[in-house]
Amino acid sequence: MSEESKRKYGFFLGCVTPNRYPMIEASIRAVFDHVGVEIMELEGASCCPAPGVFRAFHIPTWLVIAARNITIAEEMGVDIITGCNGCYGTLRDAWVELEHEHELKKMVNEHLAKVGREFKGSIEPKHVVQVLYKDLGIEFLRGFVKHKFNDLKVAVHYGCHIVKPSDKRPWGGECEDPTFLDEIVEITGAKSIDYQDKFQCCGAGGAVRTAVKEISADFSREKLENMRNAGADIIIDCCPFCHLQMDLGQMEANTIYKDMVGEPYKIPVIYITQLLGLAFGIDPSLLGLMKNHDLKGVSPFIPLEPFLEKVKEQLT
Amino acid sequence: MTEQAIEEKKSESKEWEPKIIAFLCNWCSYAGADLAGVSRIQYPPNIRIVRVPCSGRINAYFIIKSLTDGWDGVLISGCHPGDCHYISGNLVARRRFAIIKELLEFFGIEPGRVNFMWASAAEGERFAVLVRKATEIVKKLGPNKKFEKKW
Amino acid sequence: MTETDKKIEITGNEKPKIGVYVCHCGVNIGGVVSVPDLVENAKTLPDVTVGREYKFFCSDVGQKMIKEDIEAGLVNRVVVAACSPRMHEPTFRIACQEAGLNQFLFEMANIREHSTWVHMKEPEGAYEVAKDHIRLAIAKARNLAPLAVQKVSVEPVSLVIGAGITGMNAAIDLTKAGYKVYLVDRSATIGGHMAQLDKTFPTMDCSSCILTPKMSEISRNKDIELLTYSEVTEVTGYVGNFEVTIKKKPHYIDQVKCNGCGICVDACPITVANEFDLGLSTRKAIYVPFPQAIPSQYTIDMDSCVECGICARETVCEPLAINYDDEPEYIQVKVGTIIVATGYDEYDPTELKQYGYGKYPNVITGLQMERLLSSFGPVVGKPVKPSDLEAPHSIAFLQCVGSRNFREGGNKYCSRVCCMYATKQARQYKEKHPEADIYIFYMDIRAFGKGYEEFYESAARDYGINYVRGRIAEVRENPLNHNIIIRSEDTLLQQPIEVEVELFVLSTGIEPRADSDSITNLLRIQKSADGFFLEAHPKLRPVDTLTEGIFIAGVSQGPKDIPDSVAQAKGAAASAIGLMAKGEVEIEPFFAVIHPDRCSGCGMCIQNCAYGAIEYVDDRRFGEIASVNVALCKGCGACSGNCRSSAIDIIGFSSEQLNSMITKRE
Repeated sequence: MSEESKRKYGFFLGCVTPNRYPMIEASIRAVFDHVGVEIMELEGASCCPAPGVFRAFHIPTWLVIAARNITIAEEMGVDIITGCNGCYGTLRDAWVELEHEHELKKMVNEHLAKVGREFKGSIEPKHVVQVLYKDLGIEFLRGFVKHKFNDLKVAVHYGCHIVKPSDKRPWGGECEDPTFLDEIVEITGAKSIDYQDKFQCCGAGGAVRTAVKEISADFSREKLENMRNAGADIIIDCCPFCHLQMDLGQMEANTIYKDMVGEPYKIPVIYITQLLGLAFGIDPSLLGLMKNHDLKGVSPFIPLEPFLEKVKEQLT
Repeated sequence: MTEQAIEEKKSESKEWEPKIIAFLCNWCSYAGADLAGVSRIQYPPNIRIVRVPCSGRINAYFIIKSLTDGWDGVLISGCHPGDCHYISGNLVARRRFAIIKELLEFFGIEPGRVNFMWASAAEGERFAVLVRKATEIVKKLGPNKKFEKKW
Repeated sequence: MTETDKKIEITGNEKPKIGVYVCHCGVNIGGVVSVPDLVENAKTLPDVTVGREYKFFCSDVGQKMIKEDIEAGLVNRVVVAACSPRMHEPTFRIACQEAGLNQFLFEMANIREHSTWVHMKEPEGAYEVAKDHIRLAIAKARNLAPLAVQKVSVEPVSLVIGAGITGMNAAIDLTKAGYKVYLVDRSATIGGHMAQLDKTFPTMDCSSCILTPKMSEISRNKDIELLTYSEVTEVTGYVGNFEVTIKKKPHYIDQVKCNGCGICVDACPITVANEFDLGLSTRKAIYVPFPQAIPSQYTIDMDSCVECGICARETVCEPLAINYDDEPEYIQVKVGTIIVATGYDEYDPTELKQYGYGKYPNVITGLQMERLLSSFGPVVGKPVKPSDLEAPHSIAFLQCVGSRNFREGGNKYCSRVCCMYATKQARQYKEKHPEADIYIFYMDIRAFGKGYEEFYESAARDYGINYVRGRIAEVRENPLNHNIIIRSEDTLLQQPIEVEVELFVLSTGIEPRADSDSITNLLRIQKSADGFFLEAHPKLRPVDTLTEGIFIAGVSQGPKDIPDSVAQAKGAAASAIGLMAKGEVEIEPFFAVIHPDRCSGCGMCIQNCAYGAIEYVDDRRFGEIASVNVALCKGCGACSGNCRSSAIDIIGFSSEQLNSMITKRE
């Protein structure tokens, strides 16, 4: 098979993307279509289930449901690609654990047999960023760049589950100091800036956002403060939950911590494939960047206009 | 357990257990087996240990005699290549075993009955792991009926 | 071994009368299998005349039971079924000898380490294994023959590899007992790591003050041949008779002509990092390791030297002592005993990225801090921050860096000295800077030695050093002033804690030498799982190795402080002296023998022998056949494994004995 021949992946949507931030899905599909990768649907996929809440309540249930999702892709013979750190965390942790623990695998397959499924471990769950960085590669992606930014300061937010636990991730044990997402950002000509506590959690996961909103808002407030102090024009992330926390959460931080914040934050929050797509020359409306402002109470909450101005200036 | 109780239990259980003779070199593998004992690392009771000064002491005749005398498997363990107490005894053994392995297959002895391994004096855990592996392999092959000499 | 008047005439041809003694070993054996049943079963086997059981056969009472049977003529072969022969074979052999029975008519069956201890949950299986091991031992016992021990002389000379505090102490003790010592060190000076220390805990003795007199003693001692800047390249032979080749590395300076003026150092244009100061200062390519080095010799580090020729000019080196064509010199010596005291390496924390070592300038290691505190170090004992060379107002220490780590990055063991050296360094700094804030972040404080607990208590109570029980979670640098911001949890207060300090010291642990394989390959000694040299028995023989005549001591055997290192040095020296004082050592007479009538003269055995112990001889009856030189033969059997004619056999592990163990027929 030649290099050009189409790579295929089964697209695991998760929950936050289709329900709250469908533009993330749009941009992922647009970018992969553009570079010649085939995205297939995983019929019957459910919630991953969430690595924080679900796993904390009952690990065997979490394992079985995760394994079931993996078997959908196994039956199609394709690797899973997901754009969410949380789904990635669950699917990948479950995949690695079941590979090594035979007792667990037996237990899981006993349950899956009841619905006529069997976990074999024959496909690998991958993150969108993993596919971009490892399967396709920086050089390959560079070949698609049509326009480059010349003055865009990006605060890159990795999130947590994409790098940890490091022994179950493909980054060679590197979780203290990763650079792969910064490298992808810089293909577009934007500059990834350093800011204090860059690898701090956004505060959404682990039921923190659900259970203790103020504490979770304090997390994002601290991050936003550090990003603002470093002079960030936009925030780039690779997880819809982080995206939600930094976007809707930015409004919440502005409200809940009004006195501490002072001037309200208004840093546009962009998903990585949205940025990449722009550099590839894909129409911004296909990347979910154009919001109809008659729509209220719908994402994105922080206006993207300042960013779109820069796009118009720098990319044409 | 008393002798009688064992006989009763034996006649009850139908599961056959392989009997493997293990030639361990005094300096590394025998010490490694001792360490497994001292550390109370458990492994299945299928091997019977014969101490030899060096893995190089073992020649093909001992291996074949073991099989014709009815042992289900043979295990030979020495020092890691490069660490032999007698400098190169295990290297001589390794070359010999490479040929013996082919010879045994030629005879029709199932691969897996005769196993060669290396375990050092500090590797109690490794010794136990390798014994478990070898026992499993021999168990899958079944009792050694082919070559047992009937007297 | 003991000489005895009693002697039972055994030729080896009489009918064997085997006594089988099955030990309970407390509950170790008796608690898992039925010892009485094992005894009864053994008594049913042919040639077994006596079968007994006892709680502890290795005890005096147990041994007496065996001796009585021998003296009464009831047995002429003894089988003890108990622990590993590596444990008590010598014990029982002596017992037999004392009762008048040749010690080689004894065999042991291992039913503890190889049965009851590894099949604890399967007592039936353990019983079967024990039964068979006893049967195998009885089978071998039938074919044992009386043998005479071989005595070899022991050269009254010792080789000590490594001239740190351990090696030096061992060497001095050896000479006090009247033995000559070759003291070899690969560095250009003796003193080892202790020379890098400033003060030693808990007495706060100045390290140089207690070390330098020892170093002088070494240099003055006529019985010590000091070979610094040298390496042992080959060791052959056996206990009492080791042939050692030592390579004396070239200094590229004629030490006789050199008058030590030092002008060459000033003139040398090449500057490199000074490894003695761990990179905190520089030295030239031509150098003396440190001012008090012994021997006080100059050396050219040829890896850094560019041979510009400046130092060789007459205007620089008046005595014309520089010699770029210097060659290594090889000497061969014969020694009776060898002591390995090669010391340790410091753990390199660069891989622990979360602590910023190598990234932030104000993060240093424990040994680097030691050099900063040292009065002849780069800052003559007044520690400063690397970023701006100012004295820090606050310091944080992190314990267990590279130690007690079960994940990637570091070692599992505890390095034993770090709790104490961090306390010591903190106290030292506080003495000069009472207003400084010092934090020690720890998991546990291990202050186990004599005076250690009091030292630590005083550090916390009197000196006001803050001990925070918590692993540091995150380390960041304040970009404005290179201060280190530390986030941790104070687990005793159950609160997060954030401190900004000016200097961050990682209390790095101890590691085995990176090239310790060169020693293990050279001497055929083993390493334990943690990488340090393996002792013969962790409790009872901590300085012996499994190879007779070779001893280990100091940190090369495992992390320890100076008092314990010196204690081991003395222990190793005493063991070596014991061997050399006797003047001779007994060797098991397990050699290869050739049946001349069967030998076809093919020469395969000659090729296989690593010791060159076999050669061709012209036998007047059988023509050209192989012959074994017993003086060189080690009894490994590599020769016999290939013999097609069954012409070569090993006494003690003969074909007859092994075959009798293999056969399932009784």
